[in-house]
Formats: sequence, C-alpha cells, structure tokens
Amino acid sequence: MKITFGFLLLLAGGSMFAMAGVGVSAPEIGSGSAGSAVALLAGALLIVRGSRKK
Amino acid sequence: MGFIGLWGAWILRAGVGFSALFVTLAYWKSGEALEEASKSLTLRPDYRYVATHVLALGAFAALSWTIYGDRVGSIALPFWIGAWFCAAAFAIFALIPARVCAHLIRITGWTWAYSLPAAAAACLLGIYSQSFWHPLARVTFALVKVLLEPFVPIVADPSTLTIGTDRFYVQIADQCSGFEGAGLMLAFGLTSLWLFRKECRFPRAFLLIPCGIAALFVLNAMRIAALLMLGNAGADRIAAGGFHSVAGWITFTGVALGFTVAAVRISWFRSRESTFEETATAENPTATYLLPFVGILAAGITAQAASADFEWLHPIRFLAAAGILWMHRKKFAQIDWQFSWFGPAVGAGIFVIWIAADRLLANGSSHAMPHALADAPQGVRALWIFIRALAAVTTVPIAEELAFRGFLIRRMISSNFEAVPFHKFTWLGLGVSSVAFGLLHGNLWFAGILAGLAYAWAMLRRGRIGEAVSAHATTNLLVAMYILLFHQWHLW
Repeated sequence: MKITFGFLLLLAGGSMFAMAGVGVSAPEIGSGSAGSAVALLAGALLIVRGSRKK
Repeated sequence: MGFIGLWGAWILRAGVGFSALFVTLAYWKSGEALEEASKSLTLRPDYRYVATHVLALGAFAALSWTIYGDRVGSIALPFWIGAWFCAAAFAIFALIPARVCAHLIRITGWTWAYSLPAAAAACLLGIYSQSFWHPLARVTFALVKVLLEPFVPIVADPSTLTIGTDRFYVQIADQCSGFEGAGLMLAFGLTSLWLFRKECRFPRAFLLIPCGIAALFVLNAMRIAALLMLGNAGADRIAAGGFHSVAGWITFTGVALGFTVAAVRISWFRSRESTFEETATAENPTATYLLPFVGILAAGITAQAASADFEWLHPIRFLAAAGILWMHRKKFAQIDWQFSWFGPAVGAGIFVIWIAADRLLANGSSHAMPHALADAPQGVRALWIFIRALAAVTTVPIAEELAFRGFLIRRMISSNFEAVPFHKFTWLGLGVSSVAFGLLHGNLWFAGILAGLAYAWAMLRRGRIGEAVSAHATTNLLVAMYILLFHQWHLW
C-alpha cells in the first residue's frame, strides 16, 4: 500500500510540474489543475479500496 | 533560456520518471534490506547541512532570477543545475548522513543504471509518439461527425479538421486526438494491475486495458461533440472556457475509477485469492475521512466545467461538503474537535507566511474583483462572497484536515488507521501528507507544504485534530478578510 501512495503522490506531483497548472493563491485547493483531478482520482481509489469487514 | 524553453519540460519529466522508477524498483528489489538499514536512522537534523542547503537554495534562486530575466546567457545554466542538485543533496544529507545515503544506494545495486535509460527511453518514446497525434485526430474528427450528424446540421472541413455548425465550430487540434488520454490510461492500467496483481486473474485482467483505452477514446469524441452542442446552444464561452479545460480530466477520472471498480468487483477479473471485501457487508472508515474532501474536488471540477471566465457555481463545493459532513455526523461526533489558543496562533503565523510568499511571487496578475462579480447585482455578489468565505472557514478546513492530517498521516502508520492516536506520526507520513497538501496549491506549493507541516504540528502537539482544523480555519479567515479589506482578489 505504501507503494500505492508513493505512485499516486508522485503522479500528482509529476502532473503538477509537467503540466504547469494554474496558480491558486489561498490555502484552498482549486480544481482547475491536473493535480486536483489526480487527487480526486487518488481519493476515490482509496475509498474504493478502503472497505473492510465489520 | 532557449535550451530551458525547448527541453526544460522534458528534462523535468525524465527526472520525475527516473525518481519514480528508481524508488519503485529499489523498493521492489531490495525493500526488506532498505527497511532494515533505515531502522537505525534518527532523522536528527545536521544543521551544518541545513545551512549549506539554504546557501545552495539562495544561489539557485539568484541564478533563476538571472536566467529567467535574460540577464545572463546560457553560460549560467550548468551552475543553475548544479545549485539545484546541491540544494537537493544537502537537504537529504541534513536528515540522512551522506555515508548512510551511500550505503542505501549500494543496497539497491544497479537499479539506478537501468532506471536512468528507462526514463530517458520513456521520454524519447513520448517525443516520437507525437507523430501519431495527427492521424488519430482525423479518426476523432470522423467520430465527432458521426455523433453530431443525427442532431444538428454539420459544417465540416476534413483538410483543416474544423467541425461544427454555422453558429459555433472548433478545430480538432492534434492535442485533442485522444492519444494523450490513451497513454494515461495505459500507464494507469499497467500500474494498477501490477500493484494489485494478487487480486486480479491473469491474463484476462489485461483485457481491461484496451477496454479502458477504447472507452476513453470514444468519450473524448463525445466530449468534443458535447462541447459543440453547448456552443451551438449559445453557451459558447462555457464551451470554450471551463468545459473545454476540465471535461477531459472528468472522463479520465471516471474511466480510471471504472477500471479499478471492474478489476475488484467483477468476479471474472478477480482472482480466487482476492481479499477485497464487498462494501455491502463492510464498513469503510476511509470513506468517512476522505469523502468530504473528494466531494469538494468533484463539485469543484463540475462547477468549473459549467463556467465561462468566472466560477459562479463555486458554492456547490460548500453544499457538497456540508451535505457529506451532515450524512456522517454521527461518526464525526466521536472525534475530538476541541482546540486551544495554539491552533489559531499557528494559523495566524501561516497567514503571515502565505501573504509574504504571495508578495514574493508577485507575477503581475490582476488584484481587482473579477469583472463578472463586480457587474453582478449587489445581492447576488454579497451572497456569492458570503458562501465563498463561509466555505473557506468551515467546510474546507474540516474536509482537508480530515483527509491530510486525520487520514493520510495515520494511514502511513497502519491500515487500521482509526486505532492510531492523533499524536502518533512517522516522518515519512508527515512529509508525504505535507508535500501532497502543498502540491495541490498551485504556484504557492512551497508555502502549502509549510502550512501542511504547521497544521500537522498543531494536531500532533495535543493529539487533537481540532487544533489543525482551527489553525487552518484561522488562516483562511484571515486570508478572506485580507482579500475583502485590501482588494487582493487574486488570492481567491
């Protein structure tokens, strides 16, 4: 799972730098950047895989 | 600057690719040995290297100023790259002694030697693959024509790949061919299948990859068709603005999510040894902590897709987060939300750093209120600003602290993260959560990382997430007041 996190975060980081996303100048995350879309995907994947038996 | 302008992005991509490959292959090949060797690390800072790191960073900043201002020619380039490497190396040596770094690298053997050419080969393949864009753009053009013809009278020029109606038309550029999406899907699919290979049944699971690529290609054509329909209906600014910018990412996110769900839920693709539990009979604490944040991102992307040059639908982010928080209120009531003076004090400190960083990076962007907002009726303007500020002070801090400090730091310690006390942490978890938080704040990513570290410190000091939430809310409240009092609208 650590590798998963590493990949997802590297993907987010790489996409942010490689695509030079639009600047957001407040401590709130703007959704206009590729990094935000990747973060959305990462969060959704973590939720999908986060189930466990009661 | 000519060299940086031409090759800078590819050098950066090669660097990111090498780092990702090296770390992953090193962990795969020598993970146990690396973990054993790193057990002796204390991560106590060596301030001599901290000082040299600051010096190298200063040199890098000064050289960046000269290079990007065209004050010095390309002669400064080797020194600029050298300063960057020195700053990075000294930062690592400040926490991990150089001899330990050398030992860790020796453990990985020749991993660096085949990661480097692999990353370079990936970049060369990327450059070469651009020759496929135009032929695929022609296929996309034909597909869009087929999709639109039953609904509207089409004007199409195959020689320029221009298509539309007499009211609104677009040219399908090479970048819109769908090839980039296919490449992303290939990379995501292969990575996903490799990471979760024990849960997938091979070779049939490989079928998901061409299915995903085909789905994304068709959805790309549908996206362009939808864009044309929007423009033809009169919403040409929305079509060319927000929709054009984010619709591609929406489709990629949807297909990637569908790929993952299919791999784990459809029994034909799932291996018999799979331990994935059906959510119908399982609880999902990850969802509790991440859904508010994911809800904000999803609502934000949707709002942007429906926007022209101003995001009128920004308030749906607040509504989405508030709704999710309300649905999970019983679970959240069990969390300690209390805070002391320390949280707001940290938040005020971060506000100062944030404004200072913004001033330092002053890039000439307009500080005035957006025209669309300024021209709106007073009541509408006041309501939009009120909800914007309310979200910044309430739902955003709660959602982001739950995700980054409440979930991510503890999840890096244990899969049963709910059992991990809020005052527990690992340096890796702290670093990863803060960097992830910072990277999502655009050009103020460095200030974002500092904010992430500070909010985590507030939480870890007392073992209460309420401290981090109050710190974050304080920062956002002060930023909102600063924007409204001093008309610094570029901060929102």
